[in-house]
Amino acid sequence: MGKVKVFVKDGCHKCPSAKEVGAVLKKEGLEVLYYDMDTVDGLAEASYYGILSTPTLIVEDRDENTLADFRGVVPTPQQIKEVLHR
Amino acid sequence: MGSLSEYRESDVKRRILPDETTDMALFVRTSDEDMSFWNRQRIVDALVKEACVDMAMVEEISKEVQEQIIASKISVITSPLIRELVNARLIEKGLEKARKMHTRLGVPLYDVDQFILHPNKENANVPHGPEATNLTLAENIKKEYALLSVFSQSIGDAHMRGDIHLHDLGFIDRPYCSGQSLEYIKKFGLNLPNALSIAKPAKHPEVLLAHMVKFAAALQSNFAGAIGWDAVNLFFAPYLVDLSDREIKQLAQMLIFEFSQQAVARGGQAIFSDINLYWEVPKHFEDVPAIGPGGKFTGKNYEDYASEAQKFVWALFEIYKEGDGTGRPFFFPKPLVHITEKFFKTDGHEEFLNHICDVAADKGNTYFVFDRGGTAKISECCRLSFKLEDQDLADAKQPWKMRYSALQNVTLNLPRLGYVSDKDDSVLFSKISDLMELAVQAHIEKKLFIEKLLAHGDKSPLSLLTMKKDGVPYLRMHRVTYLIGMLGLNELVHIHTGEELHESKKALKFGLKVISQMDLLSKKLSKKYDMRFVLEQTPAESTAYRFARLDLKYHSPQSGHYVKGDISRGETYYTNSTYFAVSSEMNPIDRVIKEGLFHPRIEAGSLTHVWLGEAKPSKESLANFVIKTFRESLNDQIAFSPEFTNCLSCGKTSRGLKDDCPCCGAKEVEGITRITGYFTKISSWNKGKKGELRDRYRNQGFFGNK
Ligand SMILES: [Zn+2]
Repeated sequence: MGKVKVFVKDGCHKCPSAKEVGAVLKKEGLEVLYYDMDTVDGLAEASYYGILSTPTLIVEDRDENTLADFRGVVPTPQQIKEVLHR
Repeated sequence: MGSLSEYRESDVKRRILPDETTDMALFVRTSDEDMSFWNRQRIVDALVKEACVDMAMVEEISKEVQEQIIASKISVITSPLIRELVNARLIEKGLEKARKMHTRLGVPLYDVDQFILHPNKENANVPHGPEATNLTLAENIKKEYALLSVFSQSIGDAHMRGDIHLHDLGFIDRPYCSGQSLEYIKKFGLNLPNALSIAKPAKHPEVLLAHMVKFAAALQSNFAGAIGWDAVNLFFAPYLVDLSDREIKQLAQMLIFEFSQQAVARGGQAIFSDINLYWEVPKHFEDVPAIGPGGKFTGKNYEDYASEAQKFVWALFEIYKEGDGTGRPFFFPKPLVHITEKFFKTDGHEEFLNHICDVAADKGNTYFVFDRGGTAKISECCRLSFKLEDQDLADAKQPWKMRYSALQNVTLNLPRLGYVSDKDDSVLFSKISDLMELAVQAHIEKKLFIEKLLAHGDKSPLSLLTMKKDGVPYLRMHRVTYLIGMLGLNELVHIHTGEELHESKKALKFGLKVISQMDLLSKKLSKKYDMRFVLEQTPAESTAYRFARLDLKYHSPQSGHYVKGDISRGETYYTNSTYFAVSSEMNPIDRVIKEGLFHPRIEAGSLTHVWLGEAKPSKESLANFVIKTFRESLNDQIAFSPEFTNCLSCGKTSRGLKDDCPCCGAKEVEGITRITGYFTKISSWNKGKKGELRDRYRNQGFFGNK
């Protein structure tokens, strides 16, 4: 199984719904990591993925290879599961 | 010492000299080219006026110094020496503050000898000659003045130790750099404070060009660094209507030759000039009313001048392609071509891209600036750009208002933080914060000093910057930025994690963490002090060498393992800003993408160098590379740097760095390539940069030779 990285920021409208998607996936046993771009660690990780807008979700396999990214949009939990099961 | 020119007969009579020396002729060589009899009163006057020492103490000190001089039996003494003897007494008596106020600024004889005889290696843009010597001497005194009188002790010490570097201390009484458009002189003419004559707005393109050159020279004498011009081809366009292609090319030639002429301006130094160019009419200028001949609105908008603007920019690159009389690249002005989304939607962009890539491959001049999405920028110094914000876009409707300046640049020595943090993250990050605070303090002190100068209005030494042709001072202090640069991120990461940036994902992520912290801190500090602090990739032509040398001195043996270059030759350096090691054998697109990850954090602009060496790629392969960089990376700006050998015997220029001329075999050759942000002769480089040149990994094979 892979993991999902959720990048959020204060004052971003779609971020709460991105966090909800993360929460749903976490409940289903997926590894979900949250990064706040107003913190050093969050901004550093976002820089690594070249993230310029929030929310962004990055889906990775076990070896940290990126399988899909959703930039500035919020995917459904279903979409993410599809990526992981492809 | 005070002036002795009003020396009077009565002073001689008042001379106080003990009996046994009355027959001794004690002469003083004064600072204003005068020989004078000894007069103790001079010491008294200076101490009272300059150092605010109380009268009893002044009497005591002056008598002690007098006795010392008499006892020495010296026959001629200089006023600087007397001053130092007085200073020695002040120190003995614990009057440290008075001693500081009583300081004499100057240069040792040996140093002056060196300046006059040997070239200045601190800035390769200064040719050697009497003008350059004047510049160096003046810079040295102003540097001392800055460290003693403008900056506080703690900031001065941090600079001297090499924790931070305060750039252009020799230009302490000027802001750092300036960016503007032609619109100001098109609208207001050339009407400078202290000028002997006033020129009305230009009616003809050659006159506009002459105004541009004169204004650039005036700006050069009011700023320490680069002078940048926005959208030059577009703003020239209303003057080019109905001109033939030949006339346009002639104008292009005049522009480049005027700005590339050395040895006419300050200290014989070419004006460090950047011209920003567009193939398309940039979105923010489309519906802006155009100013034409005589400073009048033409009744059209700039979008109506696309064709003239394109002809002009095409012609400029034809001149760049030809090079100077001997086929060498023009060193200045640097052409910065902006690549935007609209560029790719504008007719003829493929041909134009090939045209400027041809120049990039052949001569290396072209800088490719990437303005992705909605961002618009004008670029200034080596890679300094200002992202246009809402207020700027409003100003764009009246482009003469668009004047940007950075007041100062302070660079942090990142590797040193590595030596003292002992691989402890929390120690390191708290030390980065401390150093950022120190840089901010330095900026506040410079700001106060410049404000003091500006406060004199039209009597200010910076009166050019206080002129108010459009109702506000030329230098808009409330809009200036304060630059915080970094040096040697790669070495810091190496010290802290054991790997260099290119060696692992972990090292790269750690580097991003350091810069992210600096980015967040600069925003926080901007709010706190209501000043705009932005990160910059310092060009660090001499700082990379200076920090490495100082760390070898203060942090050996540890630093010996991390400093780059050749220690035995003394050619040591740190890797510039956030760059990856110049020697790492990465393929260029990989370097552009990975270095580009740092660029969104560095608001004042960034650049990746692609060192070509001897290789001469085809224009098509470079064009593909440029498109790929735009589409697949976040990289701000790229430049390709070829290397040349110019023969001093036959005058021919050939490709690559050679020991002798491939055409005639002569040994007298001069290597030329890009030092940091501009082309220059390698013989003028400092040792650190020579060490870097040796290490540069040339991407010879990647593009394939033509
Ligand atoms: Zn030759």
